[in-house]
Amino acid sequence: MTKNEFLSTLAAELKRRTIADTDEIVSEYEQHFTFKMADGYSEEEIVAKLGDPVLIAAQFEPADSDPDKLRTKWMVRGAFVVAAVPVALFFLMLIVTAVTLMAFAMSFGALAVILFADINVYSLIPPMPYWNGAVFGIAAAALAVLLAVGCVYYVAFIRQLARAYGRLRHNLIASVSGTAPLPYLAVHPQLGGKINRRLRLAALLSFALCAISMLLGIIVAVLSTGTIEFWHAWNWFAMVMVR
Amino acid sequence: MNPQYKKGVLELCVLSLLKRRDYYGYELSEYLANHIRIAVGTVYPILRKLKNDGLLTTYLQEESGGPPRKYYSLTSSGHKQFEKDRADYLTFARTVEELLEDGHHDEK
Repeated sequence: MTKNEFLSTLAAELKRRTIADTDEIVSEYEQHFTFKMADGYSEEEIVAKLGDPVLIAAQFEPADSDPDKLRTKWMVRGAFVVAAVPVALFFLMLIVTAVTLMAFAMSFGALAVILFADINVYSLIPPMPYWNGAVFGIAAAALAVLLAVGCVYYVAFIRQLARAYGRLRHNLIASVSGTAPLPYLAVHPQLGGKINRRLRLAALLSFALCAISMLLGIIVAVLSTGTIEFWHAWNWFAMVMVR
Repeated sequence: MNPQYKKGVLELCVLSLLKRRDYYGYELSEYLANHIRIAVGTVYPILRKLKNDGLLTTYLQEESGGPPRKYYSLTSSGHKQFEKDRADYLTFARTVEELLEDGHHDEK
């Protein structure tokens, strides 16, 4: 067999088996001939050493072309396609919750600004003496920080959950198609020790500050109005009825 | 030797050679054919399979007085796979060796 016969048989067999990159494969064997012939070997000698082109072409067949394995692989892929809609809805729900949490944090931040700056635009909040309001303002600001920290942690959790799900999907498909799996990922957020400690400290401090200033605000209100039901002393609900 | 079995060991040999340095296809096939009794042509399918599995990457490099050579290089998952397969193979080979040597003693 000559070089050309070998290469054309190989190319024909590869095409018959619908193997990808036929040209690239053939050119690699062509290079093999070039190297060997430069060393002084004849075409027949090289062909004899290379082996039967029909058998070589068969070896390029991917291992998972085994119909049983291929079927399992497509079944697993199909299952993930079917699961995609509920999974997407689930993650959408998580994201919506995160957005709601963020909105809560921002509205408490806005409340703090209104109370501190004494700008009660459109009478958004019931009237109260400024200094008493400022104490409640501290509570609102602390609550905003607490909610913001919670939001950061929650978003990190959603992100990690999505990554872990992606890895699970990858590994299940890898295991049925016989390729190497990647290490599984933890579900809890991977923020790193330093950030984790800071977030925890911020959450703890803001929670304590919120509770203390809330309590303090109520005590000041009760003492200054001389009644437990200080909201009546400030005419909170009367105002609503007047409007 | 069982061809399927030989193929698995050859994959391990290819990974082992590529751990030392990058080789081009011709070099690898010549080296292996000189040391193990195989048809030279069977090394290229192995290289392609390992590349499809993501264990190897290729790059072209110009050589003086010749066409550019396609070099093969281990990827990071190739490194991991090699360490795992190497450990598995060595344990397996030791067990087989012990078994065979024991059998030899009993016969005597």
